[in-house]
Amino acid sequence: MRDAVLVLGLLVGTFFLLVIQEFIPPMEFLSGARVNLVPILFCFGALIVAFPWMLGLTVGIGLMVDLASLQVVGDSAEIALGWGIIFYLLIGLVCQGLRPLVLRGHWELHTLMSALTAILYPTLQFAMITLRRMEDGGLYYSDVVTWRILGPGILALFIAPIFWFGVTLSMSRHGGFQRVREV
Amino acid sequence: MKKVNIVLAVVVATLGLGLMLLLSGGAMRGAQSGFLSWLSPFLKGGAAVQQGIGAMGQGLKTLDQLEADNRRLTTENMELRASNQILRDMEVENNRLRAAVDFRERSMFRLIAARVITRDASTWWNTIKINRGFEDGVEAESTVITDIGIVGKTTTVSKNEAIVMLITDENCKIGAYAEGSREKGIVSGMRVQNAQEPELQMNFLSKNANLQPGQKVYSQGVGAVFPSGLLVGTVKSFRQRELDGQAILTPAVDFSTLSDAFVIVGEK
Repeated sequence: MRDAVLVLGLLVGTFFLLVIQEFIPPMEFLSGARVNLVPILFCFGALIVAFPWMLGLTVGIGLMVDLASLQVVGDSAEIALGWGIIFYLLIGLVCQGLRPLVLRGHWELHTLMSALTAILYPTLQFAMITLRRMEDGGLYYSDVVTWRILGPGILALFIAPIFWFGVTLSMSRHGGFQRVREV
Repeated sequence: MKKVNIVLAVVVATLGLGLMLLLSGGAMRGAQSGFLSWLSPFLKGGAAVQQGIGAMGQGLKTLDQLEADNRRLTTENMELRASNQILRDMEVENNRLRAAVDFRERSMFRLIAARVITRDASTWWNTIKINRGFEDGVEAESTVITDIGIVGKTTTVSKNEAIVMLITDENCKIGAYAEGSREKGIVSGMRVQNAQEPELQMNFLSKNANLQPGQKVYSQGVGAVFPSGLLVGTVKSFRQRELDGQAILTPAVDFSTLSDAFVIVGEK
């Protein structure tokens, strides 16, 4: 029951986070990198809930992220619907492997996984659009690309601990996280 | 949890994912349109709050200032009405003369005003969202312009919003010509670039095109999306390549301050 409530909360949170992110301007000091806070929410859930609930969270968040960033050009999308789910599924599987450590108190793993996810997601997107546009402009790489990939990860390193302690503290007060640690 | 349930969850998730990856472009566009409709009230609310915060910084005006503004705008409105009337007369005359020389009648476009709700929402694509959707007559692949030049084209359209792919995106391609020459080429954005000073590339020009800085580039009207004669940008530089020439353009529209635009929804 606790997992169900947590997953539902994280899905609703992701929906509103996607709205909020629309209004956050790009970070010009990081060459226009975007703020991406969804990995922080996802990794939190994937590191805490049981495997089937992690799957549900993956499908929900992956689908929302895909729909929010889908670019349909002509009659096809550059990155088809579903790739976000595959990406978050792989991250979720790694998180499940780390889950016992996190439940024993290793909160720093959440920060590391959030930063890694925030870096890998734009990397995957860039790799896919580069492959698709190979005929148009060939390979392309610049410092701007580097910062746009690293930027969200750097930001996640700072925000993830605040999110972790904020939420776990709130859960502990209501008895939720205490029970998780006893598992 | 039982192993059977876990296996069931994995099977259902795999099947769903497989089906999703096989969706056509139209189906994906439909799904995104639905999602955009869900986001719509929150996006509009957020845009209103953002606008309100922005307006607070502009300060309050006195009654005298408002009266002066009103007088100035009324005069400007009258002038514009008068010049619009003259242009209408000229359009009629132009069409009559075109008909006389057997040209296809060329009518003015029907435009609807749109407000930019959000901008630059993704890392690798240059897009904005506007507050007009299919309820207002906007369709996918509609041209979006300002009084200065081309902004881009709509991709996904929901009930009351549309996603606009800007001309600074590499996927937005426009057949264009340079004024004062016979040079034609394809204009598109760059793959990744600084949003502060965006540039466009005009490819497939002849090697000897020798376009000069400041030369204006207009849409050619080939293809079904962009009508002809709309300003795309001005030439910044030109270089010869092995097989063709390439010009770098500065877009006509300033995307950093863009807040209002028009969508071409048909002809009058």
